[in-house]
Amino acid sequence: MSESTNWHTGECLIEAEGLTKVYRMGKAEVCALRGVDLHIRRGDFVALMGPSGSGKSTLMHLLGCLDKPTAGDYWLEGQAVSALSGDGRAKVRNSRIGFVFQTFNLLPRLSASDNVALPLLYERRTKNVRERAIGALERVGLVHRVNHRPTEMSGGERQRVAIARALVTEPAIILADEPTGNLDSVTGTSILQLLAALNEEGRTLVLVTHDAKVAAYAHRILQMQDGLLV
Amino acid sequence: MSLLNTIHAALHGITANKLRATLTALGIIIGVASVIATLALGNGARTAVEARFRFLGSDQIQIGAKQALEDGELVPFGKPLSYEDGLLMPQAVELVDRVEMAIYGDGKVRRGRVVLDMQITGVAADALLTVIDQAEVQPVGWPEEEPLSEEAFIGQGRIFTPAEVLGGADVCVLGYQTAEDLFEGDDPAGETIWVTRQRCLVIGVLAELETTDPEQRYRSKPNEGLYMPISTAIRNLYDAPSEDDTPSVEIIANVTDERRMAEAKVQVATYLRERHGVEKDEDGQYEDDFHTTTKQDILGAQQEAARTFSLLLIALAVVSLVVGGIGIMNVMLVSVTERTREIGIRMAVGACQRDIVAQFLLEAMLLGAGGGLLGVAGGVFAVPLAAMLNQGMALLDPASIPLAFGVALLTGVVFGLYPALRASRLDPIEALRYE
Repeated sequence: MSESTNWHTGECLIEAEGLTKVYRMGKAEVCALRGVDLHIRRGDFVALMGPSGSGKSTLMHLLGCLDKPTAGDYWLEGQAVSALSGDGRAKVRNSRIGFVFQTFNLLPRLSASDNVALPLLYERRTKNVRERAIGALERVGLVHRVNHRPTEMSGGERQRVAIARALVTEPAIILADEPTGNLDSVTGTSILQLLAALNEEGRTLVLVTHDAKVAAYAHRILQMQDGLLV
Repeated sequence: MSLLNTIHAALHGITANKLRATLTALGIIIGVASVIATLALGNGARTAVEARFRFLGSDQIQIGAKQALEDGELVPFGKPLSYEDGLLMPQAVELVDRVEMAIYGDGKVRRGRVVLDMQITGVAADALLTVIDQAEVQPVGWPEEEPLSEEAFIGQGRIFTPAEVLGGADVCVLGYQTAEDLFEGDDPAGETIWVTRQRCLVIGVLAELETTDPEQRYRSKPNEGLYMPISTAIRNLYDAPSEDDTPSVEIIANVTDERRMAEAKVQVATYLRERHGVEKDEDGQYEDDFHTTTKQDILGAQQEAARTFSLLLIALAVVSLVVGGIGIMNVMLVSVTERTREIGIRMAVGACQRDIVAQFLLEAMLLGAGGGLLGVAGGVFAVPLAAMLNQGMALLDPASIPLAFGVALLTGVVFGLYPALRASRLDPIEALRYE
């Protein structure tokens, strides 16, 4: 492990070797990932495609440090995150990873700016929290909605708030899981354009989708099938 | 996450379900109110004893002759407690350095053609104030918080000296009303009156007194009375006192060391048993013809009387707090389930276990605190109610408010811990998927 750690000095943003995930369903074991090797460079825009059950969600959970691989190693910016504890992964999620979900996953009782500021609060940051949240909302074109709650916004606006939340901590990578899945095509296109623009500014993106039209926005498409990259 | 933000998040959780939060807090409210009422009972008994037995210092033993009930009448039991018993006590008993003595009797007081029947009190010099104080009186219009002083009780002239007490001088001090009745405005100091069979020099008049308890004022007559040295009173009121036929006095013995009260009581009893020749009965118990009482004894008896009621209230408090705590746990478990997705979101953006525990624990504490606040209010109202059920003896103890509030908070923490831990151990992926 230590030898291989030396090899991974963060040249690649993400390096994964032999990522394996086995779920236990009662007595049966389900192998969702069967040893995935993956390299993602800084500034990359990668689409992860595949039918449902192919393991793309599982891979995204592992890349997003929401879960721990059963076997294999994963380095994010040279840090061996696959070995981290639950709270260690929480810290990585907090500062290095931004999530954009299909269902937006905003807290309904908080205003847009409070939703965006949430990761900063868990970072135990107290200075300029609101300024940074408003700055992120400005970037996604929602500066006029700062004090609105998610329930007062359209789906596209909600997803923009979610993107602002993913941006606010200046993460190493943004993981978007079917970000247009709950949006009409016009709104979906504008969200994809926003993501593409963010990538042009130098942000690294991984987009999980089963829609080829969505995947077309990415520079690189990775296909998954039966727990392997093909 | 900073404390302020955590509180904010927890408050959001509670205000989302105001009715449920209120119902949950009901158990806590009743529990906290009971805690306050219980402590008020103890405090009330203590205060009542303090007030009623103000004359008895915590370093004093009250000693009196025992009486027996014979044909519906109280008669002396055994030997009387004599003036000499008291007089010799400081020398004979190691832990007693001084005694105060008093004797009460009825006599006729005459000046010219005015004859009055009244209570005659014989006292040792120091004891005069104690005797007055024991009657729960104070100079008219005396400010409640002002401690009573010897000067305050003397209206005119002086009170008798220790030498006059020991020598049995024929001097007396009159109550304010008695002086009015006998002298009708003339200056009584230096005048001679008849007390029963003796001529007696009036040396002083007490200040006008009133009972400390305003409700007692219509029936007690604190200003009628005559006070004389105890030896003079005994000589005056009783025919040729013999060894066995001497009247009983009341003694208050000062103990040199307050920490050795029990030991002092034993010493006093040993001394009196020897003087009175008290024998053991067939059970090996001394058949004492006197009783010794300390403030601690009285307090203990008073608290014993309120014990059943207190136990009942404590039981009510414990049951209510447990029920309230289970209520909090229940509400928190429901809240954790309802907000599984919120927990997932918070975890995804970087909340660690500690953050989630803090959020839900704080929410449980706020539920406890809210119940605690209402309970304190309820407790303040419950105190007069408890007083009604306990012969007026319940008094709000200010210290019980933070204590009861703390108990409510603690209940919140204890019963909120499990739901909070459960929330923190959720799997972020599962939580995010929760519908």
